[in-house]
Amino acid sequence: MSGDSLPLALPLSRLATGACEVTDLYRELREPLLRYLVCLGLSRDEAQDVVQDAFLSLHRHLASGGSRENIRGWVFRVAHNQARNRQGSYHRRFGEPLDLEIDARLDETTPERVVLEKEKLRRLGGAITLLSESERECLLLRAGGLRYREISEVLGMATSTVGDTIERAIRKLAEKCNV
Amino acid sequence: MAWLDRELGNDEMVELERHIGACSECRSRLESYKQASATFDAYCDAVLSAKTQRKRLPRWVPVLTTAAAAAITATLVLVLLRARVEPPALPPPAQVQARPSAMVLENVPAPTPAPSKTMHRPWATTPGSPRRTANWQPTERAIEISIPAESVFPPGAVPQGVNFLADLSIAADGSAEQIRLRPRLMEVPRRQP
Repeated sequence: MSGDSLPLALPLSRLATGACEVTDLYRELREPLLRYLVCLGLSRDEAQDVVQDAFLSLHRHLASGGSRENIRGWVFRVAHNQARNRQGSYHRRFGEPLDLEIDARLDETTPERVVLEKEKLRRLGGAITLLSESERECLLLRAGGLRYREISEVLGMATSTVGDTIERAIRKLAEKCNV
Repeated sequence: MAWLDRELGNDEMVELERHIGACSECRSRLESYKQASATFDAYCDAVLSAKTQRKRLPRWVPVLTTAAAAAITATLVLVLLRARVEPPALPPPAQVQARPSAMVLENVPAPTPAPSKTMHRPWATTPGSPRRTANWQPTERAIEISIPAESVFPPGAVPQGVNFLADLSIAADGSAEQIRLRPRLMEVPRRQP
């Protein structure tokens, strides 16, 4: 065997299928994953790095014949763990009040509506800081489109606990913000 | 919340839906949860949007950066070209031979300097072409070394009327790669009988 050739441990068909699956998942999950990581407290650049690493890990996982069960939860869990490694104290940054840059997002509505929306978001931001870490994470993962079962896998909790935690967190937010 | 997120089984969903339809308190609470959930989603979007906008630079920044990079590149190119076109002045061969240690074959005039080029462009050779070693001619007389004839030839065997021209090629790491001695016949004045 010449030195240029590399032994392939997997059939090519499986590699191609895995790459296609990763591409589809990337299209579906990139934005929710990015939003989740940024809301955890990572900077945009850090979040993009983590997303890239997570999908690289997914590619390796699928190429090596790893399980395809609950693959969305798997990607979020990898990204979640990497975010935890990068940011030891991300939860303190999540509740920081939004500044005037939010105007750019609300400029299509009337000035009164902009003020009301800003006030509502500011109150919600204050209420989020009062949530526990698991409540915040559950809500963020739910906002990312994950089912309770997937959230339970990411956070290592029972599915029923996830349901209870989300309900408790939403009730707190509704009470604090009076929305 | 589980009903709102459609996390219950079919039977439970139907049963709860029936209850919500009849209970105004549960309907009100459900509406409140929906609004809180929607506001939370909007908050997450706003956080992402705000962090993205913080990274956005004014329009003139990339334009100015590109212009500065182009100016620096042009300056560097001009400086490098100028350095290559005008090599530093070398002392004439007569001065080199006048040094005390430069004892070459006596009564032998200095070798004729090779014609020098104004530009040295080693990258001008096409890839794959043979190295110019066979008929190579020095293009620049950067260094001239004189070796005493007595150190090369045994006593009494110093050739008369012969001059040697050394072609020295230097490797990329600065070591001597190849040296060639080329004998050249010189005109020696004949002795008068």
